[in-house]
Amino acid sequence: MSQLQARFFTEDKRYEVDDVPFSIPAASEVQDLSNIINKLLEAKHASHTKVEFDFLVKGQFLRTSLSCHIEAEGISVEDVVEIEYVERITAPEPQECITHDDWISSVHADAEWILTGCYDKTAKIWSVEGKPVMTMAGHSDVVKDVAWVKRDGLTSLLLTASLDQTVLLWEWNSERNKVKARHCCRGHTGSVDTISTDPTGSKFCSGSWDKMLKIWSAVPTDEADEVEEPADRPRKKQKTQQLGLTRTPLMTLSGHNEAVSSVLWCNSEEVCSASWDHTIRVWDVETGAMKTTLTGSKVFNCVSYSPLCRWLASGSTDRHIRLWDPRTKGTTALKVHPTFCLDRFSSYNNFFLSLYLPCVLVRRSSGAAVSDLAHWLEPNLLCVCVFQLILSGGADNRLYTYRYSSCQTDAGA
Amino acid sequence: MEGNRENVQIIEKRPGMKKKEKTDKKRSLEDEQEDQLIDFNKKPVNKDEDDEDLSDSEDSIYSGLEDSGSDSEEDEEEGSDDDGGDVDDNAEDQSLEAEVKKIEEEEEESEEKEVKREDEYQHDSSDEEDIRNTVGNIPMEWYKDFPHIGYDLDGKKIYKPIRNKDELDEFLDKMENPDYWRTVHDKMTASDIVLSDEQVDLVNRLQRGQFGDVNFNEYEPTVEFFSKDVMIHPVTNRPAHKRSFIPSLTEKEKVSKLVHAIKMGWIKPRRVEDDSKGRYYDLWASEDSSISAKHKMHLPAPKIPLPGHEESYNPPPEYLFTEEEQSLWDQQDPIDRKLTFIPKKFDSLRQVPAFSRFIHERFERCLDLYLCPRQRKMRVNVNAEDLIPKLPKPKDLQPFPTTQSLVYRGHSGLVRSISVSPSGQWLASGSDDGSVRLWEVCTSRCMKTIQVGGSVKSIAWNPNSSVCLLAVAVNSEVLILSPALADRQVVSSSERLLAAPQEEGPSEESDTAVWSEAEGEELNQGIRLKIQHPKPVHQVTWHAKGNYLASVMPDHSSHLQVFVHQVSRRRSQNPFRKSKGLVQCVSFHPIRPYFFVATQRSVRIYNLVKQEMTKKLQANSKWISSIAIHSGGDHVICGSYDCRLSWFDLDLSTKPYKMLRHHKKAVRSVAYHKGYPLFASASDDGSVIVCHGTVYNDLLQNPLIVPVKVLRGHAITHNLGVLDVTFHPTQPWVFSSGADATIRLFT
Repeated sequence: MSQLQARFFTEDKRYEVDDVPFSIPAASEVQDLSNIINKLLEAKHASHTKVEFDFLVKGQFLRTSLSCHIEAEGISVEDVVEIEYVERITAPEPQECITHDDWISSVHADAEWILTGCYDKTAKIWSVEGKPVMTMAGHSDVVKDVAWVKRDGLTSLLLTASLDQTVLLWEWNSERNKVKARHCCRGHTGSVDTISTDPTGSKFCSGSWDKMLKIWSAVPTDEADEVEEPADRPRKKQKTQQLGLTRTPLMTLSGHNEAVSSVLWCNSEEVCSASWDHTIRVWDVETGAMKTTLTGSKVFNCVSYSPLCRWLASGSTDRHIRLWDPRTKGTTALKVHPTFCLDRFSSYNNFFLSLYLPCVLVRRSSGAAVSDLAHWLEPNLLCVCVFQLILSGGADNRLYTYRYSSCQTDAGA
Repeated sequence: MEGNRENVQIIEKRPGMKKKEKTDKKRSLEDEQEDQLIDFNKKPVNKDEDDEDLSDSEDSIYSGLEDSGSDSEEDEEEGSDDDGGDVDDNAEDQSLEAEVKKIEEEEEESEEKEVKREDEYQHDSSDEEDIRNTVGNIPMEWYKDFPHIGYDLDGKKIYKPIRNKDELDEFLDKMENPDYWRTVHDKMTASDIVLSDEQVDLVNRLQRGQFGDVNFNEYEPTVEFFSKDVMIHPVTNRPAHKRSFIPSLTEKEKVSKLVHAIKMGWIKPRRVEDDSKGRYYDLWASEDSSISAKHKMHLPAPKIPLPGHEESYNPPPEYLFTEEEQSLWDQQDPIDRKLTFIPKKFDSLRQVPAFSRFIHERFERCLDLYLCPRQRKMRVNVNAEDLIPKLPKPKDLQPFPTTQSLVYRGHSGLVRSISVSPSGQWLASGSDDGSVRLWEVCTSRCMKTIQVGGSVKSIAWNPNSSVCLLAVAVNSEVLILSPALADRQVVSSSERLLAAPQEEGPSEESDTAVWSEAEGEELNQGIRLKIQHPKPVHQVTWHAKGNYLASVMPDHSSHLQVFVHQVSRRRSQNPFRKSKGLVQCVSFHPIRPYFFVATQRSVRIYNLVKQEMTKKLQANSKWISSIAIHSGGDHVICGSYDCRLSWFDLDLSTKPYKMLRHHKKAVRSVAYHKGYPLFASASDDGSVIVCHGTVYNDLLQNPLIVPVKVLRGHAITHNLGVLDVTFHPTQPWVFSSGADATIRLFT
């Protein structure tokens, strides 16, 4: 097998070539194929500048020579091999490694700062370069989730959710580097595992082990809400210890039969929640009514939303990432994950990350793996975040940052 | 046919009748010529010359007349002479006479045939007897004394010829006359007749029993008168009988009956054979199909293998033996030989010698046929896979744990016992390293480590979700821990439960359990109460309500093996007065007030209200290791150290409904899932086997108990594999703890 028939195609209109089969050497690798495409494009348009391409054969990225790949995948060489090409997303490059004192439970980054939640009951703010900026200690138990709410000049609002059943709303002044707990959100009767802020930054939603979703106001005020305390108030002492003013939820969304594992705001009106009761539910925030229920067969650990294609992606314990279209209920695209466990991922542009035990996998929207980012120490990843940087942290107490070159296309939609 | 014969007879008779008429005419002529009789006798020779047959007959006729005369004389003479001889002579004569008559008749017949051939009227002179003497057929002795011997046609006397022959003449005649022996006396005419040579010859022939006519061929070829050949002419010319033109009434009756039967459809017209079908048949079709259709059990004889090239007189060279093949053939046993002969090459077919092995080959063929089984053996062709009971696919029985998801690492000794909090958020584990660890289930994070100062034998989370308490068996103590990993209200309610004042027990015996509150460092760790037992405690278990706690202290000799503690009142009691064997483990019924006590061989069920034993389950195993009770309370599984798992239906029987022997080594622990129809068993072979067990509401349907998954992951250390197994309270997940100091979650 020295030559084989191949036809190239792409979804990218800019790089289309004629739909003609070519006879190419079977031993050619990605670079050779890329050169071929570039030659073809140059012949077509004189103004073409060289672009590196990646190639997919039947939805799998080509990483070895074509002949090896075809042999491994068991593709027939009798027919013309269909090869899809996309502009190459270069593998993210590792940048920093930020060491924490304990397991990293959550991470959220914005343009300048990285916010991490840690199992040592604190949340920390780091600069993108990895310098420690601030430590917020206020929770009486493990910090389970963190989120930036809003940045208003130098002051930022941020949230930390904890196993101690509270969510704290902090105000941080980056210039003076001072932090203040503005509100203590009480109401959950189980550990608050997940929080998500709405796109405007005026509200946030929390999901808890007590099966409830609660919507809170994220606007700091100087007044404490009235809390209906139980008749026999057990501890006055604790109240004095409490940081910030007590805040009560605006709304409680109940309907899940098991712990809520992940929430997110799809848009300004909708909240999506994934739960251990094998359902993903979409709620209307205005009315508090449930809009859609997507039922799976396994526990959902996380849910993510792509604003481009408006699809939901869910990760569950059965090693599958499922893509859901919430508009047409029940339509699921099933993608097999190679090895997995509890996983969380973020969607960004037309690729998303999935997290499983030893590594973070960068995937295209179609599910094909682009590259994997290996963690070598404790193989237990807990969190991942994408925002200009790819961040991942876990049970090895280290937060890794990767820089990726954002691809020029947004063709995923 | 008969008509034909009649015709023939008629034809035969006619000439005879004509002859009589002729003789009558002739007689009138010959009447006067009596004397010439002898001449007549002698004439025949002359006449013979022109017509033999005719003369013969005439001769005989006349000679008969002459004879009769002479005969009578002889009779007289002989009778006087010698009686015996006379009789003989008479007999001889009579027989001769009879023969002569026969001859005459025959000759008549033959002559008649001749006559037929020739002109009938040519010899009109009579061939009839010349009846000159008309006395009729009377004994001629009556005329012995008369001079005449009868009368002629005119009624005149016929006188005897004058005979002067006496004895002497007779003798002389005998001596001299050479024709004496052929002379016959005719009594009717009283004359002597000399027989001619032909007549003598005829007599001789008749005496020998031969046909009189020399020329008569008694073996003439038969002429087939009636033959199979259809002749164009009728054999007889008799016209067809009138009867044959009139239709028969009986036939008409028969035909009308048949017509009626055909009309009514009782008789089907004969089917017209379709020639095109039957005439040609498939010559090459195997005979099987045609025969076996008729005879189901027919077994065709084995066929002779067709001759191959090697049997040819001029085989291709590759079939001829090389020297090695030849030597090999020679060395081999006749049975082992591939070929029974050596292929040989001949230049032409004509040079091929006789087949020497013909008889041998026929014999072998006969043997083949004889030894061929003539009976079809109905072998039961059972597909081995069909014998396996039809089990549903494990896929259909989902959900059940399939893969290892998380590993909880942290213990340094083997983890003997694990327990999941009723909410499913926390996992407690007790290890030989003297610590109790509390884990977050979903992240495998160890949240708390409590040093209890001794290897933990058993740990149990309070099943009541409104309290958060752990019971831990360490050495001879049972510790009650409040891990404070729940809502504040739950924590406070559990604190309140424990804070109840101690009741003063009525008895102050030495072997009761002693309750004491923890202090100092232990209190900070979460240990609230200690219950001091007289002996090492092996197992603790909670009642479903969470107020009662049972502990087990295995001891052969003592009746003090089980304690039931009431936490709210800090009271302990020993429910049993007698030892029924070494208690392995105990369990509360999840709903009803029953208490299960597993000893080495059996499980006893006690009613706690009535305080009596209600049932005794025989586990059919040697040493029970653990029991688990279904949340509905109707089913019990029992693991034993002899690798078995027995499944009981309490309503059904005290014998196990099913024994599962899937483990290679001792079963250490069994567990039921609270919600899903799943149960699991952990074994020293390092595997956890998850089984699906559905019991249907329909009592007629058998419970479905299917092993669905073998989960492996634990490393075997010191010959110990998995020590404890427990299900997640809400999810189909199973936790297992092993001797390799890890806890694993399978989802």
